Amino acid sequence: MNLADTGQTYYYIHVSATTEVLPEIEQEYLADSSTALESGYLVICWDDPVNLMQYVTHVFQTVFGWNRQKAERHMLEVHQQGKSVLAREGLEKAEFFVHQLQKYNLHATLERDAK
Amino acid sequence: MKLLSFTGEQFEFELNHEEHALLFHVLQQYPLVPATHYRLSQTAEIPHAKENQRLLEESLQTHRAAHQQLVQVFLRDAGRFVAVAAGQRVMFTRTEIEWLLQVVNDVRVGSWLALGSPDAAAENRRPTKKTAPHLMNMEVAGFFEMNFINALTGDE
Repeated sequence: MNLADTGQTYYYIHVSATTEVLPEIEQEYLADSSTALESGYLVICWDDPVNLMQYVTHVFQTVFGWNRQKAERHMLEVHQQGKSVLAREGLEKAEFFVHQLQKYNLHATLERDAK
Repeated sequence: MKLLSFTGEQFEFELNHEEHALLFHVLQQYPLVPATHYRLSQTAEIPHAKENQRLLEESLQTHRAAHQQLVQVFLRDAGRFVAVAAGQRVMFTRTEIEWLLQVVNDVRVGSWLALGSPDAAAENRRPTKKTAPHLMNMEVAGFFEMNFINALTGDE
């Protein structure tokens, strides 16, 4: 996803100069080499009993540009397993995604990738 | 609430009188979720966690203020709804449905927070005088959410 195409307000954040270990990356992110090199943070969506399943699917499609099948797979993972890792990214991009998901009132956070 | 027609970008709905009143009732309550509700991270193992949390809240506040303005314009736009025998007809663009969806979901989530964030089972308990308005908000907001999502996805 190209951040410049979103039309959203983007807030720059502080990034430390620490070395990050390259984690295992999902296939779709391997296609984006610039993303893969920076990855070190997980964008996680957590289950809650209030957001409707169709709404969560719609938000995943809108924020990540996924097709419906992929969005539903992650939605069901959230629903059945309590959470789903939606992306592995560098800090800035991961924070951008968390901001977008929270604007839709989804319970999303970013966590450091332990791998 | 019926979707009468859509052209890809324009959606025409018909709402009966009760639905029309309820949509306004829901929109008038926006926003209900405080910008300080969400945490950027559960572990705080991110650089400059405090500053980044502040930026998140600022971002959410800006977002809500923009939507609040859209809602106010919408509520004042008397010519948007056209009276018909069964109720009111209204045309929305895809962009409008997207922000309306976020707004009604905010009311749903905010009402749930006001109930003390109960699990699904607790939510179905018998309503009391105190909980009934919040439960009604959740139901009504969910009703509009489903209609908007179904219109966007082309589902029945």
